Amino acid sequence: MKVTRRLITVGFAAVMAAGVAMPSFAADLIAIITPSHDNPFFKAEAVGAEAKAKELGYEALVLVHDDDANKQSQLIDTAIGRGAKAIILDNAGADASVAAVQKAKDAGIPSFLIDREINAAGVAVSQIVSNNYQGAQLGAEEFVKLMGEKGNYVELVGKESDTNAGIRSKGYHDVIDEYPDMKMVAQQSANWSQTEAYSKMETILQANPDIQGVIAGNDTMAMGAIAALQAAGKKDVIVTGFDGSNDVRDSIKAGGIKATVLQPAYAQAQLAVQQAHDFITSGKKPAEEKQLMDCVLINADNADKLETFALKD
Amino acid sequence: MRFKAAAVIVFAAAFGLAGCKFVKTADKEKEDQAGAFDPDTLVAEMWDGKVLPYLEKRAAPLAEVLAATAADPDAAGRKYGYKAKQGNAPWTFMAKVDGVIVAEETNSRAAYVDVDVDGDAKADVRVSIGPAIRGTALRDCLDFVDFNAFKNQIEWAQFGKAFNTHVNATILEKLPREGLTGKTVTATGAYPLPAKGQLPQLVPATIAIGG
Repeated sequence: MKVTRRLITVGFAAVMAAGVAMPSFAADLIAIITPSHDNPFFKAEAVGAEAKAKELGYEALVLVHDDDANKQSQLIDTAIGRGAKAIILDNAGADASVAAVQKAKDAGIPSFLIDREINAAGVAVSQIVSNNYQGAQLGAEEFVKLMGEKGNYVELVGKESDTNAGIRSKGYHDVIDEYPDMKMVAQQSANWSQTEAYSKMETILQANPDIQGVIAGNDTMAMGAIAALQAAGKKDVIVTGFDGSNDVRDSIKAGGIKATVLQPAYAQAQLAVQQAHDFITSGKKPAEEKQLMDCVLINADNADKLETFALKD
Repeated sequence: MRFKAAAVIVFAAAFGLAGCKFVKTADKEKEDQAGAFDPDTLVAEMWDGKVLPYLEKRAAPLAEVLAATAADPDAAGRKYGYKAKQGNAPWTFMAKVDGVIVAEETNSRAAYVDVDVDGDAKADVRVSIGPAIRGTALRDCLDFVDFNAFKNQIEWAQFGKAFNTHVNATILEKLPREGLTGKTVTATGAYPLPAKGQLPQLVPATIAIGG
């Protein structure tokens, strides 16, 4: 975090510099912009991209937009001002980010999107998209199976402004709603937050003590939910998450959370940097702009192989 | 002068007509964009004319596909399957199943029959019979549909689900649900490369359960 903060400071200094029309001489810079590293998923993306950039001989400028489209726009300005050769971006909104990516393109800087997609084609060079919908369907299928296709359950939804919160919820219901004996007794947003999931779960349990399952939109909320359930002595409630974090892996191994869905954060960030490198050096674009990265179900069978958002063979 | 005038009139008429047509097309396009994305209609429209002929042409007997996959999954994928050029999706294979049902699970809504195709009384493939169908194999085996042609992953996913809805409504709902074990079955469909040691899970595009 310390390093990140320093880099952000440098970034803002660069904006100031650009403001007084100083030309930039950073020859081999790649800007890596993601949501906050408080979520280990985004941190893994930044770490993966940075490692690959350095391996290929670039300097990396690591920035976080905190899911704020205005801040993202400023960071794009920073990257432009610093003369970045490419931008690796996990964006702050499918519609809100189109203009920011277009701005970089107009300034001659190609963008390579990871994780989340934008609702426009031909603006970014590539969009390496986490297939959240497919992942959600995998997670929901496992959830339904573990529940024996019936019972009362709670859904914890992510932050509303994040496209993936809605995509995951839709993917879950696409599967679960095909089972008429699965009854959702509460659906609340816990904003991707572990502490919020804990307190929401406590409140939900007071109103609905008879629940058999909790399906969470991400791993941090699943961690909060299982802690609240355990504190209330409800050890048999099925809890599933989404992301594939090491915390949830350890919980699965200890018999707590039952399953999660791995998004290949590290690998897709590295792939984006490789595609940026190919484009910078040879002008070669990937065969398709939008590239779907499928998710993998993690449960007790394969949790052992999971480490920092990557599955060992 | 008269010729010139006539030419102008002809030109104007042609232009007028072309203009009229152009506006119509533009309106239609606008209408389509404004109107809700309709994956069920998309699938229904391509089913008989494109999907079934494609599967009929590409699908090979299951035993042949399994043997080739065991030897070299990528070579088998190129011959009997399809996957998107980019991304990390596994191969989706197309196969014809002709065998005997050796096990059935019809209590689950994700019902299936296990089928033996080589006469050793052991299951070689698990065929989904709905109503809940897992995955999007029928979409993913097609080389003429592409995620890049869709607005986002939600529409792409709804398109994938529409294939399952379609086979459910047109063929699976009519299947018998009891006493299936021991009966013969023929089916053509698709399945993603299974994890090691697991049965391929085939989603049928055509299926018949016999005596």
